Amino acid sequence: MFNKANALRGSGAEAHRVPPALDATEAALQAHERDKILTKHHFAPEEHPCVRIEHLMKTFDGETQVLTDVNLTVWPGEVVCVLGPSGSGKSTMLRCINLLETPTAGHILIEDHEITGHLPTKEVNKLRQNLGMVFQSFNLFPHLTAKGNVMIGQTKVLKKSKEEAEAEALKQLEAVGLLDRADFKPAQLSGGQQQRVAIARAVAMHPDILLFDEPTSALDPELVRGVLDVMRDLAENGGMTMIVVTHEMGFAREVADRVVFMEGGVVVEQGKPDDVFDRPQNERTAQFLGSIG
Amino acid sequence: MGQTWRYRGKRFAIALCALACALAILVPTTAFGLTTNKATARPNEDGGSSVIGGLPTRLTWEGTVGTGEKVTSVTLMLPEGGSFDGSTTKVTVLEGLSRAKLDGEVKVEGTSLIVAFSEPATEGLLLRLEVENMHFPPDGGDVAIKGSYVNQSGEQELEESKPIKTIANTPLQALLASLDANPVVEAWNSSPFLGMFFKPQLLVTAFATLIPGWLLCLAIVCIAYPFAIILGLIFALMKISRRRLIRAIAIVYVNVLRGTPLFLQIYIMFFGLPMMNINIDNNVLGVIVIAINASAYLAEIFRAGIESIPPGQYEAASSLGMSHMMTMVNIILPQTIRRVIPTVTSDFITSYKDTSLLSSVGVMELMMFAKNLTSVSGNMTPYVAAAIFYLIVTLPLIKGVTIIEKRMARSERGGGPRPKVKAKSADAAAGGQDEMGTEPSLIEALSAPFRPASTDIAGMGGVADVQ
Ligand SMILES: Nc1ncnc2c1ncn2[C@@H]1O[C@H](COP(=O)(O)OP(=O)(O)O)[C@@H](O)[C@H]1O
Ligand SMILES: [Mg+2]
Repeated sequence: MFNKANALRGSGAEAHRVPPALDATEAALQAHERDKILTKHHFAPEEHPCVRIEHLMKTFDGETQVLTDVNLTVWPGEVVCVLGPSGSGKSTMLRCINLLETPTAGHILIEDHEITGHLPTKEVNKLRQNLGMVFQSFNLFPHLTAKGNVMIGQTKVLKKSKEEAEAEALKQLEAVGLLDRADFKPAQLSGGQQQRVAIARAVAMHPDILLFDEPTSALDPELVRGVLDVMRDLAENGGMTMIVVTHEMGFAREVADRVVFMEGGVVVEQGKPDDVFDRPQNERTAQFLGSIG
Repeated sequence: MGQTWRYRGKRFAIALCALACALAILVPTTAFGLTTNKATARPNEDGGSSVIGGLPTRLTWEGTVGTGEKVTSVTLMLPEGGSFDGSTTKVTVLEGLSRAKLDGEVKVEGTSLIVAFSEPATEGLLLRLEVENMHFPPDGGDVAIKGSYVNQSGEQELEESKPIKTIANTPLQALLASLDANPVVEAWNSSPFLGMFFKPQLLVTAFATLIPGWLLCLAIVCIAYPFAIILGLIFALMKISRRRLIRAIAIVYVNVLRGTPLFLQIYIMFFGLPMMNINIDNNVLGVIVIAINASAYLAEIFRAGIESIPPGQYEAASSLGMSHMMTMVNIILPQTIRRVIPTVTSDFITSYKDTSLLSSVGVMELMMFAKNLTSVSGNMTPYVAAAIFYLIVTLPLIKGVTIIEKRMARSERGGGPRPKVKAKSADAAAGGQDEMGTEPSLIEALSAPFRPASTDIAGMGGVADVQ
């Protein structure tokens, strides 16, 4: 449970001189060794990480440093829950993975493919097809029905036929328990239903990785359950690789393979859920978990 | 003032008569036994100067007796359809400038009027027949008064008069005539305010006369507006472009057009282009000016609309892998269009009203017709009629904007009717297949707020559309 990030933590000026990303195979072996004790994930031999974040740094407007030095490796099929106080940079990290924010320094590799640096727009769009994102505020397209929301990415981006896209949409809506709401507009759905449609929309693109940014934070308490059930189903039965920023401790403890605690733009602590929740090594983690629980 | 104008007409007629008399005396008499000097009719059009067939008017006929003639009777004949029935005729015989002691007995037989003199009219006498309440044929056209006279050697053909121009008695003319005769209308018009602004006869005339101008207004704005929308959209997208030069061009275009009066823009275009030897048809140029002017306002409306879409929409579209273009076309613009429909409709109303400024450069639109009719009649009623023509279009649109705004507010809160919940998942999977397509086309998006509420939501998701 040694936290490497802490050791590497340095001032902003140093963080600019980021060492280059390691050779994929060598890095895989190293990360493999390092993460073995941090996660419940069962490693396959020769397995390569889905997401590799090395020394990620992000500054806004050249001054506010939000991410100082983030290091994180996520393996295929792994469910990683990211915890941390508000403003610690969780959303920013997630958005960097999706290139919704451009990292200031450091490396992000998706399936051993470097996405940092100047990527042509076409490649960015291609990359995003492999990364599903679920937002705190749902961000459904209000002019489309639930079904239309799930279909549009398939028809426009994946160029599927209408029939195919619709069949897929209905399948995904059924999976989130909203088949009977297929023709409803977002405004006519409850927050929980909207978030489930948003999940269906992301899943219908068959991404390799799903990113969740506090998917239940904007929901009334009684609606949280339904959304978490859908996510649990995806994790347990769908075998989906997921990075979930959440404040739902119960969910994190039950579903996550690994829990990551972030604060001040660095990963302060990470480990198996029971380890982190019951025996936090870092004082800040303990404090945070104490204040929450 | 309408009255004054009529008096002026009368005075003019009298002057003509006097002139005719003078001529009759001065000009040596011809070889004809009875020369037709003139045949005129009094205008009976309200607010106009035409002679309308089928409606009562006064016919004045004059003839001079030739050398050595003794005329005992004169017969005037109207073409088929005209009538002397119910008319009263004043017979005047003049010798020089004084009345001759000569009486005439008048007999009417449908289209002919026979005047028999008490004693033969002799050389140099001027015969004047003023037939009140006679009717010309209702079909209109040029009417020449024919007839005959009887002299010492028997019945002679009468020289045909110069034709009198008459116009057809349309339902409109008939209506005007009945209004003229209506005592209530007369009482109404005697009020200075009502008579000046709401004179029924002029209102009717104006409605008929202004229609071409009204249609031109509608045509100008309806043709200009689609171009304005396209131009506006282009400049809106240019304004939010990432390139500074493109942004600058759009900003200059929009600000110059919004910062100067339309009146000035019209003058520059209508007088400037001909000076550069570019000659464009007035109406086409009108369309161009209105389109360009409206496009600047629309660009601002669209830009504000696009920027009002929350960034989450771009992010959601991006994270699906959509390109910027795809996002604009499929996600942002359809939402923008809904949002801006009320504002765009208001702007359409403004543009429609602004066509009135084109009257200043001779485009024959509504205001032009109203102005002309007012200057002829000296009455404000044509302007009131023009106001009604503007309101016919603007009031329903204003109402429509209110309804749309209410409906949008309601649907944003999640109100409004909901589609039927599908019964069973198995049925739904099969039943859902016939409802293809989910993205509304641009046209659907545009028309959505206008559709009846019950089909609004179902229509968006259910109707098949072409990609
Ligand atoms: N676009 C931005 N511009 C400037 N500051 C930002 C921006 N986005 C986020 N921040 C700042 O970064 C910090 C971390 O934000 P965020 O990643 O959203 O934290 P979290 O999701 O952990 O609550 C916050 O202090 C926030 O104000
Ligand atoms: Mg956040």
